[in-house]
Amino acid sequence: MDSLGLIWTLSTTTWIIPAALIGLVWGILGGALPGISASITMALLLPFTYTMEPVTAIVLLASVYIGAEYGGSIPAILIRTPGTNSAAATVIDGYEMKRQGRAGEALGISLWSGFLGSMFGLVMLVTMTEPLSWLALAFKPTSYFGLGILGLSVIASMTGGSLVKGLAAAVVGLMIATVGADPIAGINRFTFGVPELLGGVEPVLVMVGVFALSELMVQSGASELYELKEKIRVRLPSWDVMKRLKRSQFIGCIMGLFEGLTPGGGGSIAAFLSYNEARRWSKEPETFGKGSIEGVAAPEAANNTVASTTLIPLLSFGIPSSNSTAVLLGGFLIHGLLPGPRLFEQNGDVVMGLYLGSFVAIVGQLLFGILLLPVCVWLVNRPRPYLAGFILALILSGVYTLDHSLFHVGFVLAMGLVGYLMRRAGFPFLPLILGVVLGHMVESSYRRSLVLSGGDHRIFLEDPIAVGLLLVSFGFIVFSLGRDIREARRARQVAKPLELKETHP
Amino acid sequence: MNKDLASGLLLLALAGGYFWAAETIPNSMLDDAFGPRGLPVVLAGLLAFLALILVLRGVAGLRTVTADAVANDEEDDGEPDAALPRALGFLLIGAAYVVALPWLGYPVSIALLIASIALYERARRDWRLPAAAIFGGVLFWLLFNKLLGVAQPSGVLFSALFS
Repeated sequence: MDSLGLIWTLSTTTWIIPAALIGLVWGILGGALPGISASITMALLLPFTYTMEPVTAIVLLASVYIGAEYGGSIPAILIRTPGTNSAAATVIDGYEMKRQGRAGEALGISLWSGFLGSMFGLVMLVTMTEPLSWLALAFKPTSYFGLGILGLSVIASMTGGSLVKGLAAAVVGLMIATVGADPIAGINRFTFGVPELLGGVEPVLVMVGVFALSELMVQSGASELYELKEKIRVRLPSWDVMKRLKRSQFIGCIMGLFEGLTPGGGGSIAAFLSYNEARRWSKEPETFGKGSIEGVAAPEAANNTVASTTLIPLLSFGIPSSNSTAVLLGGFLIHGLLPGPRLFEQNGDVVMGLYLGSFVAIVGQLLFGILLLPVCVWLVNRPRPYLAGFILALILSGVYTLDHSLFHVGFVLAMGLVGYLMRRAGFPFLPLILGVVLGHMVESSYRRSLVLSGGDHRIFLEDPIAVGLLLVSFGFIVFSLGRDIREARRARQVAKPLELKETHP
Repeated sequence: MNKDLASGLLLLALAGGYFWAAETIPNSMLDDAFGPRGLPVVLAGLLAFLALILVLRGVAGLRTVTADAVANDEEDDGEPDAALPRALGFLLIGAAYVVALPWLGYPVSIALLIASIALYERARRDWRLPAAAIFGGVLFWLLFNKLLGVAQPSGVLFSALFS
């Protein structure tokens, strides 16, 4: 009853419901633009959340994520170009349906499956995160240190590519976090006399530069122009079609649940896995790739489930498992909230507001998904040069609003260059962002523990939670190291026959 | 020079510079056992170690990538070499905006930014270019200065004209 009362109070006294709907609309539009991922769509809004109530800001960002997952399927179906990475699997049968003149039906199935997936994900989010709140009381500074190290090691080792590059990105992120006053003695570090650096580097500046600006730089010079002339209307599936889609949607939901819980999993992996499984379990597997309705339903249910279930590790342990949740974590930090066990205890209203806002956004998705289609089509048809100009203008203007500082605008440009170089060299972003975000917590909890123990490191061994978390971190590093070595050996074995061919034609 | 070698050398230089800057952090009466210099020194050492692995891997031509990443790398190698200068050009327009903003003021600077990026991205040179720039300048000014109440710089030129 307390929860219901809180939900009623939040919905009548805060801006949660308008924020959920605005975020949803922004997410659908951003997701519909090819090349603008869910995380970029969220990062563009991040500077504007500074002046908002914490709960409103979090709901706004989470709703953008929900909207972007559906928005991404629109260009995937209409122009064979996924708006977001997680909509890539939808292209296969969605575009085939469009070629057969069934675009409206494909969009309707995407919308309906996304709705079911999101709703399932929300139920899982609520039921799985709440019981973890009891952990809050058991957490000490040593446990928080262990949690920070776990987050960094998991993300560095699981975000794909090389472990060394993941760890290097995390270390650079931690380095950025050391700028400003140190957390115990208050000594200024790496500020070089710049007053804007005294308070440290705002994670939002790194996120906007690395995610959004570097993407614009990568796309610079791209000359694709999309033209979509036909008028399309969303056609929601009939009762019979809904019954036929049940199995594939269930598979999508289950895959989305597991991938959402897995660090580095994300919507795209869930979508492809569910597509394959839906084909395997389908009564008509031969129709896959030829415009199968199940081939649209499974990946869309999966990637929309992920949009909610990926919040479980974030809210429970403060570990963002995808770029989008890293941006959401930035939203939490802007308002002085640290996701993790204590969030439920200290900021229960924010968590409850997030559940309510997500529910509103998911229900609103059914309506706005239909209403906004013409706007999405109009946006997709806009010439890319103007879109690039307007997006850059939005980024630079938004960053200025944070602190009315041109230094921050320049800093974002510099981070854009860092992001661009990281993309070119194959370094993952997420460990860098997490390093910036968790750096302060890792250092302050480590040093606070040492202050408590008079400099004795055995204090970490006396806390079973810290020991457990550090052991799991170690396990992740060892596992990833083994994986890297195996892959290197395999790559060399593949290269050997090629070398032989070249030397002995 | 392959990507591992180049990024390894760059990170090694970063670790060196960071370590040098960490050595200048002063001591304090409130210092704990680890001190404000402790973490930076550890991080510099860790980054140097990881950078050395990358350098060695680059030199040996050892590539620890997945089969998928091999395919991606092949695609990457196909990218035109002009990609970096082009991206830097994009960034330079952003930097020019930062320089121009205090002088020209927000609406003019943002309009010029939109027009410059559109031109740089090969927009057609017709009436739509100035129209989009002016529309953008007015739209952003209304959005930030009026709707959100964020005072963007009015600029020396703008202020002189209206004072």
